[in-house]
Amino acid sequence: MSTLPLSEYVVLGIFGLIVATTVAGALIAVLSRRMIRGVAGLALCSLGLAGLYYFLNSPFLALMEVLIYIGAVCVTIVFGIMLSETDEPEAGEKPARERWWTALSALVSAAIFWGLCHLALHSAWPSAGVQATNGSVREIGVALLTTYSLPFELISLVLLVAILGALTLARGGRTKS
Amino acid sequence: MSAIVQNLLGPGWPWVRLLLYLAGIGAFVGANAAYLVLAERKIAGRIQRRPGPNEAGFGGWMQPFADVGKLFAKQMMIPPGTDRLLYCLAPLMVMAPPLICLTVIPYGENLVARNVDVGLLLVFSFGSINVMALMLAGWASRNKFAIISSARVVSQNVAYEIPMLLVVITLLMATGTLNLNEIVGQQGGWFWNWNFFRVWVNPLMPVTFVIFFICMLAETNRAPFDMAEAESELVAGAFTEYGGMGFGVFFMAEYANIVVGCSIATVLFFGGWQSPFVVLSGPVFGPLWFMVKLYALVFTVMWVRWTFPRTQFYNLLNLSWKILIPISLFTLLLTGAMMKLPLLLHHLF
Amino acid sequence: MTTIAAFKEVCTGFMSLLTGMRITLGQFFKPIITVQYPRQTLKMPARFRGHIRLVLDPETGKSRCTACKLCERACPSTCIAVDGAKLEGQKTKSVTDYRLNFTNCSLCGACVEACPFDAIEFSKEYNVVAFTRDAFDKMDLVQLLAARREAWTQNRPPEAPPAQLAPTPAPPPAAAPSPAGQPQTPA
Repeated sequence: MSTLPLSEYVVLGIFGLIVATTVAGALIAVLSRRMIRGVAGLALCSLGLAGLYYFLNSPFLALMEVLIYIGAVCVTIVFGIMLSETDEPEAGEKPARERWWTALSALVSAAIFWGLCHLALHSAWPSAGVQATNGSVREIGVALLTTYSLPFELISLVLLVAILGALTLARGGRTKS
Repeated sequence: MSAIVQNLLGPGWPWVRLLLYLAGIGAFVGANAAYLVLAERKIAGRIQRRPGPNEAGFGGWMQPFADVGKLFAKQMMIPPGTDRLLYCLAPLMVMAPPLICLTVIPYGENLVARNVDVGLLLVFSFGSINVMALMLAGWASRNKFAIISSARVVSQNVAYEIPMLLVVITLLMATGTLNLNEIVGQQGGWFWNWNFFRVWVNPLMPVTFVIFFICMLAETNRAPFDMAEAESELVAGAFTEYGGMGFGVFFMAEYANIVVGCSIATVLFFGGWQSPFVVLSGPVFGPLWFMVKLYALVFTVMWVRWTFPRTQFYNLLNLSWKILIPISLFTLLLTGAMMKLPLLLHHLF
Repeated sequence: MTTIAAFKEVCTGFMSLLTGMRITLGQFFKPIITVQYPRQTLKMPARFRGHIRLVLDPETGKSRCTACKLCERACPSTCIAVDGAKLEGQKTKSVTDYRLNFTNCSLCGACVEACPFDAIEFSKEYNVVAFTRDAFDKMDLVQLLAARREAWTQNRPPEAPPAQLAPTPAPPPAAAPSPAGQPQTPA
């Protein structure tokens, strides 16, 4: 079966596009002043990530990324913004305490970035092209309910915490205590 | 000459196949959007005992061209105060998902642009982007009607995504695959093999379909759930500020979404390209059967729209949370029980 | 118990939805009942009240109006102005100018009631269109009658009309307005 002429370059180009999408989305999400654009950037970033998963031979994960992160998470965030955000973000002077927090978070993220870079550059990567499973739904289902059943169940704990948090917030507003 | 054609269409030239499908899907969506609008107006007319549009061209058949010509001739305005980038991107974002979804729909036994293993998941994941696009359109318009409409779209879609997915999971338990073509393949033979009639898998199969259909109406924002475009309250909902082809694209996307939804319903419940009676199947009749089923469902969508008035919003949410979700959860449990009960009995005795 | 009631409610609700859909489908297959207006028109009922017009006497082909001005007096909106003249060889006056200010007319019919000669009646014109206001506030009923008389003379058997009857004095006042200024009625 012959392939598209210059198919390698085309694939490379698509891969580059996906990476660019991811990075651009992330940058938009972080840098834009309007929150709604930030969420749009997040959605774009998720789309790029889905593309990366697709390149890693896991279409199931890629589609789940789209379904959950764009279809559910981003939509919920936008919904929240819509009900709460003022028209224009205020560009006023920030209080001193907030600056400390900014500095602290910058420090923490720099540390995490450095750690990740260190890990990426110095650890031994598994040889490329090893495909653990064929990425089919059946394989994923079996893996989730056997090998990875503990993390799978732990996720439900996260959901429980989230529900409890939501209940606390909602009740707090209602009783005015 | 024939050798060249053979070469072009054969497996040796996948990119020709790619281009053909791209053009085919583009034409399919365009023709559908254009003529479903006309069909909708004609059907609305007939239900109200009037002829519908009948002036433009042969008894109204040229109406879509007149409409499109008008829309193209209009200026696309960007009102002051809008978020320009998002405002311009929203029509594209709303049009792209149905186009992507249509690539995995099996129109015939071998007539599918890309036979993806997780086709069903693809349809649902890209279908969910639609909400995001509508919402961004509403937000970027900086118009109170548009924003109210966007808020409605979200709560409506979030509410109806749940029973929709539950119902689909019920069906997946029965089929055991996410590949749309395989799902169709399982429903071969007589029409009682269609998932809709397979009451021995789950006695509530018809109910499952009804839930699916209701959710589809809600997800595509069709009447009686057209809160997003409640023209008597919200002008034109999220598209209030759009004019010309910007508005036209939203319209096209609505019909493209209906086509996708009905195609999925056809594939999941009515045996896709399978003939209802063993005879008259094959590569020619397959797509024909698919189209017959698809347009019967599309007709039903329109029929529902012109029968029922718009629901109130809290009724809409009540319907989902209090009726559809419990029932779909029950069918899910029932299917699981019915599938595993024989196994259990076999173990016990 | 409440569960059963709720279940019943869902079932009956769904059945009522199906009933609704059955009805609309039934209507779908029934013939169309609307009138395709510019192509088809309805015949106006006998009591329909359009603007008033002079009756064309089928015997003589002229108006029966004698310019007695009873209608002018009867009109509560003073929207009628009649002028008559005694023509040679006739015992009574006949109308030379009959102006209706249709913008003021409320179609009450007092003029029709008042007329002792049954010389005015309601027309059946419902789509009266013109480019100028004059066509409505100075509606020239004599001229409208003349237009109808042409059709009358053409349809009349040729032996009957004496040559004397045909020429009537053109309305003397105000040069006849252009045809465009007159109310247009579709054929």
